[in-house]
Amino acid sequence: MQIVKYGVLSGLVLAAAACTPVAPWQRGVLAKPHMALNPNPIDAVMRNHNYSSREAAPAGMAGMGGGCGCY
Amino acid sequence: MKPPLRVWPGWGGAVAATDSQKSALKALTLAALALPGLMSAGNAAAEEDEVAFQFSHYQEGRRNLAGVESNLKPIEVESLYGFGRVSLTDRIKFIFNYTQDTWSGATPITTAPVVANSNRPIVASRDGETVIAGASPFISSRVFLDRDFNLLSQDPSTGRAAGVDPAAVHVMSMASPEIRRQGDINLGYEWDESAVNWGFGGSVEDDYFSWFSSLNGRLDFNQKLTSLNMGFSYTGSDIQANFDHDAATYIDKVAFQHQISRTLSKETIRGGRSDASWNLGLTQIITKSALATASLGYTHSQGYLENPYKAMTIIFADPDPLVINPSNPDGLVGDVRAFLEQRPDHRNQWQVGAGYVQHIGLLDAALHANYQFFQDDWDIHAHTFRLEWIQPVATTWTVTPRFRYYSQSAADFYKPFLLSKQAHNRLDFDPDSGEISITPFDRDKLPDNFSSDHRLSAYGALSGGIVVNKRIAKGLALEAGFEYYTHQGSLRLDGEGENSFADFDFFVANANLKVNLSTLGRALADGGQAHAHHHHHGAPAPAGVMFSHLIPAGQTMVGYRYMWSRQAGDMLRGTAYASDADIVRNGCTAGFTGRCRVNPIEMNMGMHMLDLMYAPYDWLNLMLMPQFMDMDMNVRMLDGVRYNAMKDHLHIHETGGVGDLGMYALFRLFSSANHNANLSLGVTAPTGSVDETLRRIHRIDKGLIHYGMQLGSGTWDFKPSLTYTGVDGTWSWGAQMNGTVRMESSNESGYALGNAFQSSAWGGYNVLSWLTASLRWAFTYQGQIQGQFYPTPGVADGRLVDNVNMGSRANPSVGAMDFPGSYGGRYWDVGFGLSAVVPNGSFQGHRFGVEWLQPVMDDVNGYQQARVGALSATWGLMF
Repeated sequence: MQIVKYGVLSGLVLAAAACTPVAPWQRGVLAKPHMALNPNPIDAVMRNHNYSSREAAPAGMAGMGGGCGCY
Repeated sequence: MKPPLRVWPGWGGAVAATDSQKSALKALTLAALALPGLMSAGNAAAEEDEVAFQFSHYQEGRRNLAGVESNLKPIEVESLYGFGRVSLTDRIKFIFNYTQDTWSGATPITTAPVVANSNRPIVASRDGETVIAGASPFISSRVFLDRDFNLLSQDPSTGRAAGVDPAAVHVMSMASPEIRRQGDINLGYEWDESAVNWGFGGSVEDDYFSWFSSLNGRLDFNQKLTSLNMGFSYTGSDIQANFDHDAATYIDKVAFQHQISRTLSKETIRGGRSDASWNLGLTQIITKSALATASLGYTHSQGYLENPYKAMTIIFADPDPLVINPSNPDGLVGDVRAFLEQRPDHRNQWQVGAGYVQHIGLLDAALHANYQFFQDDWDIHAHTFRLEWIQPVATTWTVTPRFRYYSQSAADFYKPFLLSKQAHNRLDFDPDSGEISITPFDRDKLPDNFSSDHRLSAYGALSGGIVVNKRIAKGLALEAGFEYYTHQGSLRLDGEGENSFADFDFFVANANLKVNLSTLGRALADGGQAHAHHHHHGAPAPAGVMFSHLIPAGQTMVGYRYMWSRQAGDMLRGTAYASDADIVRNGCTAGFTGRCRVNPIEMNMGMHMLDLMYAPYDWLNLMLMPQFMDMDMNVRMLDGVRYNAMKDHLHIHETGGVGDLGMYALFRLFSSANHNANLSLGVTAPTGSVDETLRRIHRIDKGLIHYGMQLGSGTWDFKPSLTYTGVDGTWSWGAQMNGTVRMESSNESGYALGNAFQSSAWGGYNVLSWLTASLRWAFTYQGQIQGQFYPTPGVADGRLVDNVNMGSRANPSVGAMDFPGSYGGRYWDVGFGLSAVVPNGSFQGHRFGVEWLQPVMDDVNGYQQARVGALSATWGLMF
């Protein structure tokens, strides 16, 4: 199945990458706001709602929210 | 208790580190690692306490209706979003979200062959010229086909069948404004290397109710280089949709017969659905400037998964017809019918995603790349690619260009329209008996599932936009974004998408204000002593009183104000009860028939306001107050008037969106330890619309919605106020006079609201050192509306008429609320209020207020519904 193929692929990419140890004091850059996984959470809420009401696949992983979006 | 010190507190993130900062940073980082939940891979950038307000406008472009000119407005949505995240303790976080959308416009109700001429233009002749007054959806008609079931066009002059034309087109239908409100709360608890989060919320629309709950967990390991996220969420929805008046009679609803109920004025379908989702995510720090994510998701949906407003067009063509149509002697005649769409009752959806975030050291930029693959058992496969470049500029700016590409295949039951090789109703003639028999079509020959919703078709979508963020003060940031989105069949990955009839585009513009409470909390703590006396500079005025206090020079205040008012119950004429018979006879004498037909059952109005205040001097404060409105009204037939399905419109009417923008200057007139007086001069700009209309029903346009449900005054208004406040120990008091003077005699719709004047006086007592209870007396005068709606030309029964407003000849279904004489009056109220300035804890320095205004007496102009009361709730923070 296609889904398995993509799953394995992304797993491999991650595994290959996860090898350099990064000491805690080296993580200053990672703590910058623009390095956050969701750097613009406020407008992401609205954008994901727009995409989800216009596309068959839901946008964003944590699918909490309701409503019809019937338009 | 202050929130813990975070790594890199520079909010807005536009700070480049020097060497000394770097070593300090190292020390801070070490210290921070000891703090709970920090610097884990799953939560790399610390989430600080924050409140945010956002407004956004979604606007679709016009659709291609195969040459038919339509005056139907494309869909637009105005949304308001409020967000708050507060640390209740070091380890407990509370998050809330609130969204309110108002949408209106034309949306496809079905897809039909172009040759069926379903968006039939309404052509009217006026003054000897022909005017095309838009398109009206017709979804039952006849088409010609050849013997191979190919659709044929018709020669417009002879009416005879011509060449093959398989093209499709959307059939558009208009909707009156509708409001959706969604709110949720989240509670999170953080341990040193893990966290849990529980959320609960609901979404309410007139026709759709959902509630949802979620549970998420995070586990950090591998020295916090790796984080594992797990989540589960459940959504339950109840659908209760009223069918479109114009379309309902043409649509075959037999498949849902057991879910449909009928009353005199409406036909309603009920359904329920549930959606359960599981998510699994992994975040991995790869280098000191890169991290990656992987995610896996599964959702199971079941129940009524249809969209109740979408229909499937089915062309019934009898391969062996009894009679031959002389205009298509060699071919067949197709009967074009519409059916409610039928989707499967189950849907299993899987998602796999991967993301990568890379810091670009030279530019201090961050590159975000994401890919997601989606698949479901409706045979939809979708790919989403996202790319974002976040570029800090000149310490206080951040510019983010972004790009997104989406591509999906079609659901296996998607078709623009269907062909069924049987007669819709077959006529047979029995030569022996001489009788004609009618055989209806065989439902078993139709597919089990079908939908023409273009969101289930194969297409691609490209979108791109930019977000600009500016830190305007310590802890305060303003952000504006713009995005353009285009949906096209040809943009699908392999280029093989739906034809161009289904293409559409939209843009979204949004602006938000973020207040970082953690930064402000630290600032307040640093300079806390300096401000302390201001917090007690006079007791807070009741929540319903604005402009009562000035803030000291150099300070900023961000506040939010919500006002809600309701009218329900008895109708009044002056101060006395008005009977239905009285209203019918005397309430609508200015209308075409001179009689009222309908009456409000209730009317609710909500206003969300943002208070932004800045003090250049102690004696001068400047204030900006954007507003966002929502209103709804439910109407009934007046006793003694018979309901007429073709004329009367008994739904709940809703409107909402941006209201008028207030701009004020506050002047300190006098100030001593116990007494204060100030003057406020301001104007409101007519940013709220005054041309909200109701949709066409039964082929008759309904014109402008009631005066009281327009979103603004439509005029530039002058708003002065004079306030005195006093305080002595635990007692406080005050008085205010304020007015509203319309500076124009009429707005773009032809009227001006009456001038208004209010005087109020109050007393307060400090129940606790930080809590004040207040009692207020208020008198309000409001003049009646001057002028009236300009006539609104529109369509009535296929003719263009000069006026379709309520009360006109074409639209005689009217109530007292549709006449300017039934607005304004004299109103007396008593207010009960509570105000607090939080002395300590996470909300230290925050001001909260609530006041209920209880009507004592109404003396109304014309006929109006009695007021139930008004609620004011406020929040504010000065820094």
